Amino acid sequence: MQDETRHGDLLVILRHAPHGSSWLKEGLDVALVAAAFDRRVTLLFMGEGITALLEGQQAGPLGQKGTAPTLAMLEMYDIDSLLVEKRGMESLGLSDEQFMLPVQGVDADRIAELLASHALVLNF
Amino acid sequence: MASVEIYRYISLDEKNIPLDPEGFLVDMEDWSPEVAERLAEEEGILLSEEHWEVLRVLREFYARFEQAPAMRPLVKAVGQALGPDKGRSMHLMKLFPGSPAKVGARLAGLPKPTNCL
Amino acid sequence: MLLHTLNRSPLSPVLDQALAGMGPEDRLLLIEDGVLGALPAQQARYASVAGRVYALHEDLASRGLLGLCDPTVRVVDIEGFVALTEECERTVSWY
Repeated sequence: MQDETRHGDLLVILRHAPHGSSWLKEGLDVALVAAAFDRRVTLLFMGEGITALLEGQQAGPLGQKGTAPTLAMLEMYDIDSLLVEKRGMESLGLSDEQFMLPVQGVDADRIAELLASHALVLNF
Repeated sequence: MASVEIYRYISLDEKNIPLDPEGFLVDMEDWSPEVAERLAEEEGILLSEEHWEVLRVLREFYARFEQAPAMRPLVKAVGQALGPDKGRSMHLMKLFPGSPAKVGARLAGLPKPTNCL
Repeated sequence: MLLHTLNRSPLSPVLDQALAGMGPEDRLLLIEDGVLGALPAQQARYASVAGRVYALHEDLASRGLLGLCDPTVRVVDIEGFVALTEECERTVSWY
């Protein structure tokens, strides 16, 4: 698993929460396009972006689509390398049992390594 | 939500059904098997059971994930639902020539897949 | 070596994300609101990357901060920004 993440060529960092802005959605769209073109994609959830993984999300109050169905769909695009910044999880008081998908926690000192080891890094 | 721009109509049972410039339904609710047959006709496709089972996979995909699949996830979804023999791009190319993800989505009454050519 | 640009003030949690993303040789360029981080009183926040912090002249000038920068922060103009992007392999922006 660790090895796979090192060799994946696109790293998409998701740092924005669902519903509040379109950054998360745009980051996920980029990841899907890349995967549709056979790029290997790793997602790294940091800060508020971690809340995108929570179970039980819904559409917005005016019926705006949420991002949970897109996260559920990642598997169909063979995007299965999902990393989460441990520090961000702690600061929000969340644990991976509350997440809708299996994730791998990443220590703060490994994040710089991830950025350095991917040929392409897109920050959302 | 499908595109709102109405480009033309197909008429079926005295009802006019709006299509967008690329031939996708403007209102997904307008879809019916008869609509699918009419749209298929425009592509020169006569829908067989093999087509229908793929269209059902597409509609289930959309119901679950709220997006039409690109080619790669479509192949995977068809493979999971109908077996590995059918979960191959060759099979889908034969059924829906050109761009199976796009043509399939159109006939299944879904919006155009956003992340495909 | 990567160049990281940051347009958020030192009070933003985005600073911590940028710092977490920085390798031992990487450079940090402060732009827009990020240039508030050039103030001497904020330097403890940037301790882990001390000596590798740059701030954009134009954004400091427009905020009246040009004369108030900590001496360890290197002030660069747009040309200096371009030079930095050339020196570094890739650029990652934090916002």
